[in-house]
Amino acid sequence: MNSVFGDRKTIIILLAPALLLYTLLKIGPVAWSLGLSFFEGNTLRGFEFVGVDNFTKFFTDDAALQSLGVSVFFAIVATAGQILLGYLLALLYVFVLRKGSSLLRTIVFFPAILPTVAVALLFRSFVAVGDNQGPVNDLINLFGGESVEFLATTSGTMATALAMTLWGSMGFYAILLYAGLLDIPDEILESAKLDGANGLKLVRHIVVPLSLPILLSSIIFSLNATLKVFDSLLALNNGGPGTSTAPLTLYMYRTAFEYAEYGYGSTIALVLTLLCLVFTLAIFRSSQRKAED
Amino acid sequence: MKAIRSRRVMVATAVALALTPLSACGGGAPQDAGSTAGGAGTGTDPSSFTILTANENKALPATLDALAKGACSAENAALPIEHQKVAQADVVQKVTLLAGQGALPAHFIAGTAMVRPDGDLGKGDLVLDYKEALEKLGAADQLLPAAAATVENVYGGMVSLPYQYNVEGIWYNKQIFADNGIEEPKTWDDLKEANAKLSQAGIMPMTQAGAAGWPLTRLMGMYIFRNVGPDAMKDVRDGKAKLTDPKYVAGAKALADLASSGSLGEGFSTRDADTSANLFLTGKAAMTYDGSWLLSSINDPKRNTIRDTNIGFMPFPAVEGGSGSIDQYAANAGAVMAMSPKQFGPKVGDWLKCISENYGAQALKDSGTISGFKVNEDVKELPVMTSQIQEKITELKDPVLWFEALLDPKSNSLASTNVSLLTTGQMSAEDYMGALQKSVDAAR
Amino acid sequence: MTVQPQVENPSVTVLERSEQPLRNRRRARRALKRLPVWTIVTIVVVVVLYPQVWMILGSFKTQSEFLSNPALSLPENWIFDNYTTALNNGNVSRNYLNSILVTLPSVALIVLIGVAAGYALEVLVWRGRKGTLLYILAGIMVPGQMILVPLFTVYFRAGLTDSLWPLIITYTVMGLPLTTFLMAAYFRSIPREIFEAATVDGSSPLRSFFVIGLPMMRNSILTIGLVQFFSVWNDLLIALTFTTRPDLATIQVGLLSLSDQYGSTQYGPLFAAVSINIVVLLIVFVFLNKKIMAGMAAGSVKG
Repeated sequence: MNSVFGDRKTIIILLAPALLLYTLLKIGPVAWSLGLSFFEGNTLRGFEFVGVDNFTKFFTDDAALQSLGVSVFFAIVATAGQILLGYLLALLYVFVLRKGSSLLRTIVFFPAILPTVAVALLFRSFVAVGDNQGPVNDLINLFGGESVEFLATTSGTMATALAMTLWGSMGFYAILLYAGLLDIPDEILESAKLDGANGLKLVRHIVVPLSLPILLSSIIFSLNATLKVFDSLLALNNGGPGTSTAPLTLYMYRTAFEYAEYGYGSTIALVLTLLCLVFTLAIFRSSQRKAED
Repeated sequence: MKAIRSRRVMVATAVALALTPLSACGGGAPQDAGSTAGGAGTGTDPSSFTILTANENKALPATLDALAKGACSAENAALPIEHQKVAQADVVQKVTLLAGQGALPAHFIAGTAMVRPDGDLGKGDLVLDYKEALEKLGAADQLLPAAAATVENVYGGMVSLPYQYNVEGIWYNKQIFADNGIEEPKTWDDLKEANAKLSQAGIMPMTQAGAAGWPLTRLMGMYIFRNVGPDAMKDVRDGKAKLTDPKYVAGAKALADLASSGSLGEGFSTRDADTSANLFLTGKAAMTYDGSWLLSSINDPKRNTIRDTNIGFMPFPAVEGGSGSIDQYAANAGAVMAMSPKQFGPKVGDWLKCISENYGAQALKDSGTISGFKVNEDVKELPVMTSQIQEKITELKDPVLWFEALLDPKSNSLASTNVSLLTTGQMSAEDYMGALQKSVDAAR
Repeated sequence: MTVQPQVENPSVTVLERSEQPLRNRRRARRALKRLPVWTIVTIVVVVVLYPQVWMILGSFKTQSEFLSNPALSLPENWIFDNYTTALNNGNVSRNYLNSILVTLPSVALIVLIGVAAGYALEVLVWRGRKGTLLYILAGIMVPGQMILVPLFTVYFRAGLTDSLWPLIITYTVMGLPLTTFLMAAYFRSIPREIFEAATVDGSSPLRSFFVIGLPMMRNSILTIGLVQFFSVWNDLLIALTFTTRPDLATIQVGLLSLSDQYGSTQYGPLFAAVSINIVVLLIVFVFLNKKIMAGMAAGSVKG
């Protein structure tokens, strides 16, 4: 058997294109950029070696540390929400609606295809105050509350951004997880049902373990995507009020491309990459421990 | 095992291959930089007159195309015009990339800080000195003196063409002023009084598009210019004054007080440009401080329901005891539009001459855009407000800059992002100016 | 195996028909049981559609209606002016063509290369595959913005900047890590025995990828293809960085010209353009969704 699944020629044919393209055009450029963490300057001005100066700068740079906090907070909350909602929806599709889930799947996935700028505009107008007050404040007024200017505060902006992110991506994660659940062979479920497993029990003991690979992959993907959140916070409130909701990517982008300090921008990128690595490895380790149980 | 090792070697080689050409070009300064000195006619003509403009600016390429078909058709035949586009938010990055490859087009948009003498483009002699070039071409008199002054003040040299020239001031609703017995406020105190009156009458005194930040810092900046004098921000740049000096902090305080008094209406800090303009143009707000680009909305009867004859334009009021004068309007000359000295050959020179002689009239005719070029043709049937402002601009003397104009990019961005904290009481005037001064010092 | 679901349903109907008296009560009980489900579905649909209704309403409003009237008010006139403006903005047909010319090849390449790699990493057995998977996973961790500057240099020196190639190549590379990683995860959730059982007949390993691997994963492949399609279609950053000529602009770049330099936006035409965009994407989605359904019906290999 292993001779069939271990055929070297096959491995090379199937893997080489991906590995080659990926190494040449992604890892190479990234390595070049990250290498510039130790330099100062940009492609026009030229680069000057400064050793670890950029790193010491990073850890004394209030704006950078604030952004780091924003990214981590956003990633944890958004990931928890995305995966939870996505998984619940996927379960709903597969086990409750079954064949009838097609329409709902389409509808819920839909927001994922809207451009972020449009979605941000939409949510801005939803929480607007003043002359053309949005429905959120109408609702607050209805219950006797005073209108809240959400985007004038850090917590309000964060809450809006999270709502926007969940709204936009839960359908995406639902589909991602749904495809994983679909691939679970029916016999396994049938035989579990025959054994008397039902409802929550079935989900907990059969469905979750069987979909664990795709669930973990989704968590990893979600964490890595939300740690690098960029356009939604930028489009919603420009990282404001002040810079209190500016994530690390935005700070990096501004540093590297607006302030033209490519070296320091690369340092921020490197920190971000390490952060992603730490989170990913943490998930991997916890999953391995679970597998051992 | 062997297979794995050989694969590892393969991967390593691939990485190395990918890195070599990159690190080679990343190292020193790009070879093209500084190889040619600036100056009129010193370069060689490219194969086309390529112009890089912002995606968001549709008027400029359209007007240049109109010139290519009309007044500059001979120049266009010799060197055909060709357009390239870049997103406004992406200008600094794109121009850095292009310049790094020696691939700048003949005429291009750029970031403010880049073209200054100490900026990345300025240092490498990658921007043409128009003053010298236009003098050689005999077209130096085609620029309005005020516009030339603004360009030189902002960029430290004549390195941008004033395709727009915007004057800023307070636009007000004459009807609302009359109904409430208000005269044009001449001092900041008058303005505060007027605001109080209007608030009492249930009218929003002033609308500003706070979401963008700069519409708020403009008020603070103008207060500082009136209080300290027209060189207020130059002194900060040159280290002769600090933003934390009491006279500067007073500006931030004045803005914070204006905001907390409710004069800017509910939700001002998240209001966008369109909503703000709409509040003014539908008579819901009595005033707005804005630039003359507001004219395009004023002249649009679908948007302006208060009629253009009902709109007045006044300078930012004086501050009592201040050293600045009420006659000093703030003005700006739009985004940088530089030329590459390397490509400044005789044919590009002809284009430059033709543009400077004809752009003023063409832009006014086609889109009602007021530029910093002389209008050499009688343009008829201009909307009332446009011709009023156009006159004002022609006579403009001693324009001042705006608050952020001379700040480095990072401090510039900080000024407009933090202003929402200042105006919503989440940051004190002292802290605001303190943070900004710290950033200015760090960039020095 | 294909007939399985069809057998199930007729049998139920037959049963119900034979027990007429019980039918109503049973139906009522079932409806009651389904009530929470329908409540949830309704809430989900409302939450998802509500903002989109706002967007479509917005596409019919004039600028001043948009700014003066409450968010969910109906447009005063149902006119298509905004759609005309959106369709006449710049060179929309060229933008659409470019978007298609870029998206289709990119997605095809991403899926083909990515699925093959996923198969090689998960189904095939060789030492070092865990490490290689991690190596590819690293691609998800690095911020995408960091490849822009070096790649620009590479494309420029290779003389590719005046074509759509930089976009196609970059999208492919950007999409590969996620695709490979997710496909590996999907392959992992299939018990190995299924692959092994299917290979006993002695087909060559490469053949078995095309004959067994690909068809078996049809759902997942289409899902990922869909996801990549939308992310490529909606990208702005890469399209902005690697093109300057207006005739190479994609639809997302074209949308930028609906805003002006002073931060003002033509909301009506913007939403009209987004709505048109949605319709185009919806067609793709429905088409692919049908395929997924068909794939499921034919996906009897699975059982």
